[in-house]
Amino acid sequence: MKIKLDPRTKLYMIFIVSAVVMMSATTPFLWAVRILMTVIPIILLMCNKRYASAIRFLFLYAVALVLTFTCITEDSKGIFMAFLVGYCAIIVQFAPAMITAWYVVKTTKIDEFVSSMQKMHVPDGITISLAVVMRFFPTIKEEYAAISDAMKMRGIRFGGGNAVKMMEFRMIPLLFSCVNIGDELSAAAVTRGLGGKVKRSSIVDLKFKVQDYLLIIAFTAVLAVFIYNKYFMK
Amino acid sequence: MDNTLTNNDNIISINKVCQQYKGAESESLKKVSLNIKKGETLLLCGASGSGKTSLIRLINGLVPHYYKGEMTGEVTVAGKDISKTELYDLAGIVGTVFQNPRSQFFSVDTDGEIVFGPENIGLEPSEIKKRKEDIVQKMNIENLLERSLFDLSGGEKQRIACASVAALLPEIILLDEPSSNLDIDAIENLRDIIIGWKNEGKTIIISEHRLWYVKDLVDRVLYVKNGHISHEWTKEEFNNLPKEEIEYYKLRPLNIRTDYFHLLSEDKNSDSIDNNANIGLGLEDKDSVILRDFYFSYTNKTYVFFKKKFKESDGSFLQLNIPELRLPKGKVIGVIGHNGTGKSTFLRCLCGLESNCKGTIEIDGKEYKGSQRINLSYMVMQDVNHQLFTDSVKAEVMLSNKDLSEEICLDILNSLGLLDYKDQHPMALSGGQKQRVAIASAMAAGANLLLFDEPTSGLDYSHMEKVGELLKELASMGKTVLVSTHDSELIETCCDHTLFIEKGRAVSLEKV
Amino acid sequence: MNDKKLKVKDFITVGIFTAILFVVEFACGMLGFFHPYIVASYVIMIPLVGCIPMMLFYTKVEKFGMITIMSVLMAIIMFVTGMGYLGAPLIIGAGVLADLIAMSGKYKSFKKTVLSNGVFSLWICANYFPVVITAKSYREGLLESGYSQEYCDNLFRAINFKTIGVLLILCFVFGCVGAFLGKAVVKKHFEKAGIV
Repeated sequence: MKIKLDPRTKLYMIFIVSAVVMMSATTPFLWAVRILMTVIPIILLMCNKRYASAIRFLFLYAVALVLTFTCITEDSKGIFMAFLVGYCAIIVQFAPAMITAWYVVKTTKIDEFVSSMQKMHVPDGITISLAVVMRFFPTIKEEYAAISDAMKMRGIRFGGGNAVKMMEFRMIPLLFSCVNIGDELSAAAVTRGLGGKVKRSSIVDLKFKVQDYLLIIAFTAVLAVFIYNKYFMK
Repeated sequence: MDNTLTNNDNIISINKVCQQYKGAESESLKKVSLNIKKGETLLLCGASGSGKTSLIRLINGLVPHYYKGEMTGEVTVAGKDISKTELYDLAGIVGTVFQNPRSQFFSVDTDGEIVFGPENIGLEPSEIKKRKEDIVQKMNIENLLERSLFDLSGGEKQRIACASVAALLPEIILLDEPSSNLDIDAIENLRDIIIGWKNEGKTIIISEHRLWYVKDLVDRVLYVKNGHISHEWTKEEFNNLPKEEIEYYKLRPLNIRTDYFHLLSEDKNSDSIDNNANIGLGLEDKDSVILRDFYFSYTNKTYVFFKKKFKESDGSFLQLNIPELRLPKGKVIGVIGHNGTGKSTFLRCLCGLESNCKGTIEIDGKEYKGSQRINLSYMVMQDVNHQLFTDSVKAEVMLSNKDLSEEICLDILNSLGLLDYKDQHPMALSGGQKQRVAIASAMAAGANLLLFDEPTSGLDYSHMEKVGELLKELASMGKTVLVSTHDSELIETCCDHTLFIEKGRAVSLEKV
Repeated sequence: MNDKKLKVKDFITVGIFTAILFVVEFACGMLGFFHPYIVASYVIMIPLVGCIPMMLFYTKVEKFGMITIMSVLMAIIMFVTGMGYLGAPLIIGAGVLADLIAMSGKYKSFKKTVLSNGVFSLWICANYFPVVITAKSYREGLLESGYSQEYCDNLFRAINFKTIGVLLILCFVFGCVGAFLGKAVVKKHFEKAGIV
């Protein structure tokens, strides 16, 4: 079963999750709500056939959770324990946000995202730039891979032990490539009418469906529970 | 009377245009006048830097609206004065397919790219969907839908670029060296697309170095030289030009030998190439570079803790499967084969970029393994920009070898004709010069095995010839040169042997 | 035609450099997993590494809005990648201010560019906001669920309400230092190659 969500719902999910990860869970009930909130994006990932990453996240989160609750006590000391505590703390605290973000980034197409930005009346300039950012991440990856191959062939991957050189050799060809590609990209985009005065249309059909409403309600409830606990219980 | 009539027929008219880019030393176009009739197909040929691209940019409005500079004269396209028309208003009238498939797409997925133009000009979604379906069907690209553009080959990307342009239903279509990064099969595909447009009555202008695939499609051929149109031929005249004249104009040949590329694909199917043919021209050890145990696959077969070593019996699982191969030492060897059959993989493994490939190379009785291969060999990549790191040509060469004396460095530069540029930034040089800088740094590193990945794909005839001569020269210095290429012209000018790779196997090694 | 208005080319330039800047931030961020103190040193690392693309970016800025949009994009990307939205006001505020400073020098004055880059670099501190703002409840939570006093002390000694001021100042200073460094690199490579 494939569940397709409106990008706006996804943004709302991130918004709520980012708010909730800032608040600590103090009671078992709150822990349960938090864990539930983390499981939802994992389930959504599975629904979109991203089993590998879903299982990886589930495993990571579960291990961190179990370690936090069982192994780590106040007298855990030493470097190893400090690291372990550190990692588990970060994972348990921020994993919900990480997983939700991963889900959103992996399952949203750029044109969906762009047209939802348009629907939310974000200025065109920002949507265009944002679309370019998204398109450029894979480009940077490709270019960087080619550059590190070239460095490998020259045997200068570590810049002769010089950190500045190491950075320079990576950055300079990358920037040259990116500027060139950007130039050609702009030319190709303007000849196809980008930046006109006409309002851009979109074939992406954005509509809230049942699953969107359900998730919005669920996440609003999660936020409500946490806010109630934080400000009204004490 | 006659005059006004032709004026009405002209969909494009360029009148005494001079143009100079900002920061350029000389004019790129010198008083160019040109009229193009509706439905005509035009070919622009000539050396790189002659002004072909500037002419194309005049028609799609990139000059003067995008590339700034000084411009005089008038350009009228479909009744619009270009200098007073905004670029986005031209989008539905003029469409352009650019040279580089990597940089001209805006979306990440193919579907989004096809509808990008129509969305920009604000068409109704239902109309856009209809156009998309039409075009997908016409161009036969169903198999490319719902794919990431980053996973497509150059040829497939170029087809999507054509579809994206066509979705705007422009009357005029411009193609600026569209075949530069394509292999033969993809070029034939492109040819079919152009024929389709021609049948729809579109006005088509193609700027191109490779002439064999367009020569019978065009109505008129213009030869551009130093910023003006110096010759004009009709289709018949052009197709009957004697070989000497083609050579005189430094054009690439009108007919190419496709047999290099088609020779094996038809009669030998996948079963018969399961075994590496026993090839090697009966070379003796001292005259040969012996490759052993080159096996590689991009999909790792992993055990729990370590990677499995590939071997011959893995068979079709491997993308490269060469148990032993003897290559003639000190010769130029053209590596040919279809796209995706392992040419690039072969070169990458050979120079040690794929560390999972455990092959060994033996030269003069000495065996090179693993990372030693990196020091033995050097590959000049297709996009040479990725392998230039420093701020001067000299520093670039010195980077290869710390112990290099300045004298030898200058010697190397001199032998490659780069001495005058030794203090310039490598990125400020032309494409061919950059290639030579890369070669210079390979020589400084003492590489004996030089590999070239498609070095001539976007070059005009004279530059291609120069590369060919350079390769021969390198061979005469005792270097073994392997060049993967789609250019049969290059093979004819410089290769001593051709090595045919099919499905990751070395199928034949023949004398040219 | 209004030359003051941003064009498609400008938007694309902004997009490209934002992508590069984010990659730099992300690469440095990866190192933060090793120790909390590395997290604190972002204020030095990111301006110094990011200065090269930033200074190249500044050579392409000619109109008001490009730097502002870049900051808005950074805020959006930080939000979407799950790093919270508390820092958004700081990021966008720094962006607008940096844009205004650079504009006052007509995007040509190097002095103004240095200041502008210093101010823009403040966005890096937005990374710390979740920790700082939620410090109290976060710490309580950590201790209650049985964390060692030691780790908490380590984390909060480096990043808290008092040090955030210091971190902001460091950001600004290294942003300015970075501007000089970046300018040198731009001169060494990009001007010499004739692309700016």
